[in-house]
Amino acid sequence: MSRPFPYTYISCPCADTPVPDPARKRRSRESPQKSPQKPPPERANTDQDKKLSAKEEEQGEDEDEEQTFDPRSPRSNFSLYPPEQLLYCEECHQIKCPRCITEEIVSWYCPSCLFETPSSMVRSDGNRCGRNCFNCPVCTAPLAVSTIENATGNAPQQGPWVLSCGYCLWTTLDIGIKFDKPTNIRSQLQKMTDSTPPAALDRSRQASRTFEDLKHPLSSYASIDEQSNARERDGEQAAPKEDQGAPPMGMDARFAALKNFYRTQISETSNSPNDHLSSEFGFSSPGALNRLMSLYASSSRLSGLYGGSKKPKSKPPVMREALTASEGLQVASENSETDMIARLQSPECGWDGMASIDQRATQSPDARFIDDLLPLPVLLRTKRAKRCKSCKHILVKPESKPQSTRFRIRLIALSYIPLPTLRPLAPSSSSALPAMAPTSDLNSLPPLRPIHILLTLKNHMFDPVRITLATPPVTPGRVATKVTVLSPQFEIGANSDVWDEALQGASAPLTSDSRSAALRGVPEAGKVWDKGRNWTTVVLEVVPGTLPGSSAEGGDGNPNTETNDEDVLAVAASRQDEDVLEIPVFVHMDWDADAQLDQQNVGKGSKPDDKVTRELAYWMVLGVGRIQPSL
Amino acid sequence: MASDTPSMGASKRTSATSGLRNSQTARPVSPHTPQPRSGNHSFASSTSPGSSFRGEDDAIIFEIGARWLRAGFEGGSAPMCVVGFGPEDSRRAGDYRGWIQGSTGAGRLPQPVDIEEWTRAYELWRPDSREVDLSLVEDKIERAFRETYNQFLLTDAGTSRLVLVLPSLMPHPLLSSLLSTLFSRWRFPSVTLLSSATMSATAAGLRSALVVDLGWAETTATAIYEYREMTTKRTTRSMKHLMQEMGLLLTGLASDGNQNTETADKISVGFAYCEEVVSRFAWCKSQTEKDKDTSSDEPDRKLSIPSPAKPEEEYMDVPFSRLAEPVEKVLFAPGVAEHELDDEEKSLPLLVYNTLLSLYPDARGTCMSRIVFVGGGSRIPGLRQRVLKEVSLLIDRHGWSPIRGKALERQRQRLEELKLSAQKASKEPETPKSNGETPSTDDEAADPSKAVPEIDFVEQKLRRQNKDIPVPIQGVLREVESLGPWAGASLTTSLKIRGMVEIEREKFLQHGLAGATRDVDYPVPDRRSGLRSGGDRSSWTLVGWA
Repeated sequence: MSRPFPYTYISCPCADTPVPDPARKRRSRESPQKSPQKPPPERANTDQDKKLSAKEEEQGEDEDEEQTFDPRSPRSNFSLYPPEQLLYCEECHQIKCPRCITEEIVSWYCPSCLFETPSSMVRSDGNRCGRNCFNCPVCTAPLAVSTIENATGNAPQQGPWVLSCGYCLWTTLDIGIKFDKPTNIRSQLQKMTDSTPPAALDRSRQASRTFEDLKHPLSSYASIDEQSNARERDGEQAAPKEDQGAPPMGMDARFAALKNFYRTQISETSNSPNDHLSSEFGFSSPGALNRLMSLYASSSRLSGLYGGSKKPKSKPPVMREALTASEGLQVASENSETDMIARLQSPECGWDGMASIDQRATQSPDARFIDDLLPLPVLLRTKRAKRCKSCKHILVKPESKPQSTRFRIRLIALSYIPLPTLRPLAPSSSSALPAMAPTSDLNSLPPLRPIHILLTLKNHMFDPVRITLATPPVTPGRVATKVTVLSPQFEIGANSDVWDEALQGASAPLTSDSRSAALRGVPEAGKVWDKGRNWTTVVLEVVPGTLPGSSAEGGDGNPNTETNDEDVLAVAASRQDEDVLEIPVFVHMDWDADAQLDQQNVGKGSKPDDKVTRELAYWMVLGVGRIQPSL
Repeated sequence: MASDTPSMGASKRTSATSGLRNSQTARPVSPHTPQPRSGNHSFASSTSPGSSFRGEDDAIIFEIGARWLRAGFEGGSAPMCVVGFGPEDSRRAGDYRGWIQGSTGAGRLPQPVDIEEWTRAYELWRPDSREVDLSLVEDKIERAFRETYNQFLLTDAGTSRLVLVLPSLMPHPLLSSLLSTLFSRWRFPSVTLLSSATMSATAAGLRSALVVDLGWAETTATAIYEYREMTTKRTTRSMKHLMQEMGLLLTGLASDGNQNTETADKISVGFAYCEEVVSRFAWCKSQTEKDKDTSSDEPDRKLSIPSPAKPEEEYMDVPFSRLAEPVEKVLFAPGVAEHELDDEEKSLPLLVYNTLLSLYPDARGTCMSRIVFVGGGSRIPGLRQRVLKEVSLLIDRHGWSPIRGKALERQRQRLEELKLSAQKASKEPETPKSNGETPSTDDEAADPSKAVPEIDFVEQKLRRQNKDIPVPIQGVLREVESLGPWAGASLTTSLKIRGMVEIEREKFLQHGLAGATRDVDYPVPDRRSGLRSGGDRSSWTLVGWA
């Protein structure tokens, strides 16, 4: 049960093509599914008399078990889609689901302020809005910029400013952050959070990469210089001093320190003149510089760069590990964790003082308490064009403006495949079947009482379509529900102009006939229930099975076995949604399409007037209702 | 589709050089500009204009575990997103029950379930690949990657290089599933595999380390010496067991002790709720169980947590110390003698000690002062200190000798008696010698934590030679913080260091995992910088993963 009953899902045929793995060719699938090309073997069964004995049906099911789509298998969750989410490729003539398309980003925009972000800025902003859009770190509601002062008069509001959540009343004052200006909050916040670690290193996280890259040869060279000097001056004594003095760095600062350190090390160690490789790689520039410098100034303090070894030619310098905090080493402190335990225990912390898993997921990995949470800039969204994965044709192309909801191209599957809708057949007064259960509540279908369901397929194409439906006689899974399609083969009219129906008198007899059929109210095998201009309704007869362990199992409800209702409930709940009645239906449709623009297809199935027969086959899942645990 | 992929791979690989060439030829002086550019141009125009120059060179790094997936761009200090694999993530499209009813696992379960079943829906795979439905894993991976790209990375999937951070021991079927899903679904030019233990060491700024990964299914201790994995030992005492134990504890609290026996080892609280409790309040006592006086001087605080019976409505007081019990029981196995534990279920201190013990003394001395804790369990407050304390106790008790037991004690006693009777005069210098006779040779000599650094003239000379290189710390138990495997991979990749295992699309699609050379003497890249020495690579290898 994933939507209100009744519902329909369509399984994308791409689920049947396994992931090709050359090394695993012989591996058989755990639950092989039907390939749409082969005609379903159950088709014969559907025409048969529904009064087959249960045993025969079970045997038939055993044979077909391998072929039938099982809506209950865990894998089916990944291939079933609501019909409106599917696309259709006009080149491949196939349904396309999100798994068999490739996506290309057209534009990036902030969902909160609807400003488009230029692609060059997306990465440097960390995929988040660079303006004033923030989400509450506690409840994810949007934050508003407001002033602390009570705005009494008409005078322009004065700062300081805070971000406040209108839903959970969290403000940045809770973490002690105020802003001087109401604009450009993101950069203000960045400055505040970055200023805590020591400022010796470049932590240009928001600086664009190109700028960083331009700068880096010089800066890393400068740091080599610095380092060697420092090492000469106070050598080993620097390490312990720095370790104790410096407060623990933040993630970013440590990362930058480590990166700087490694870059220095690589440039120091790869200075051999015949290192032709270095010219190919990005870090080579300081190395190249060093090499040149060492050619001209071989004697001076520059030789100290190479680990101070006397014979750099014979003995290449070795990379070493980080030794000081400024190089990114951080030795775990003894008492930080005991402090943390004490804080956990303290009454002011409590359950709500700790950040939940969801809250922490978007924060820095060190965040643990509510106080550590920072306001979150809104994550950008994208507009994406979609292409067919196999033929690369564009299926969806939105307009790039964030404000516009229009599409330039959009090939949704519902314009090609018939839209299935489902509705229970209300028992008419003249019902000839006394066994028919009242189908009022789909959430509690009584087991073993036959019900009739009307399945309407509505065609959106301009060609009439021939449909063949097939279902397994008994639904897969532990709850064996018998299903019969009363008229499995039928036609749906073309989606012609609405006026055509009214103007053409020829179609009148058909409609009147269908009206009478509706009035008759008795579904008959082999007859279409109702039919309109571009839709056809057929009847499915469904006998819901009994839940395992249910009182009704094995016979028509003995009245004295209704005692163990709770057990039945428990069993049903043990496998989630087992009591949901879902019917897999195999749909095969073919139609004669115009063969325009499609030369290669003309040869094989061509009709005289340039018509091509196309066919499409897929599995559909009808969610009928929930089966009652007992009669 | 197949025809244009090699050009794609080629253009990626030589992007640096071709870019250079283009900029030269694009000058107005040369009239032959269009020819070399045409190939590149058509390639660029096939993708959308925005994405072609964005992220051209930036590799995307994914770290995949059984529970979580971390993803981000190279050069970032932290992953852009952390995505879990829960039952909410394997719902059908259009199924919004998670939002309507509240996510599964937050409330109490309708019925107690078996502890193994309880965790199953939340893990992507299990180390035992017999229990894994690989096609389901593929489905989940595909969806997770797709949604990560669309929601968080905001870049076109498949255009740039992919770096995967994986544990060094990974079942081949799983690895094969993972790679073939990625290669066949998207058009990644290449996938680089990096070992998570080595990356953790890198992210700590170290070249040698003992990386203790407190993961979901198992805890591994990997000794890394000069970026090489020397040895790995593992134990099943891990976060999964911790979660199960906490679930049992909370179930017990929910039912107030009147639990009937048939549901004794079944859990009736929701997984998500239990995970919240573990992530917020699981902690570890810093003292070993011997010094018990701690409980007396500190009043046992009560903590108010949402009641396990009705997490959404009521709160319930739980003694704070009880929340340390599962950690204690699962990870330290108190009260169980070492010999009663199976090889695969040693407690954490024993795991660390045994891993150190199996190393050569040099590597041991280096690794023991560079212990790095990573993984979800390293967040539990107090745990790391406790492990180190117990390891140092073990070292004090046993030294670095793998041989112990009653027979040894008896033999030692006999030898000492012999010695005492034989030569009573000279007392003190004899103890090392007696140790030398037993197989447990250098009980003290190889124990660098206790030994006074002896004067070695070679060492002295070396030290005199390179005065300005600081002496590396050695032989002391010391813990170093790491930024985690993801950050390590980001660091490594942003320094343009190429991994040993770089799987190219075409080669994988031809042969799959079987195409990897099993040649042991695979040419080792330049050791100093990790660079490849050769130009093009005709074959690829699965070094650690083979």
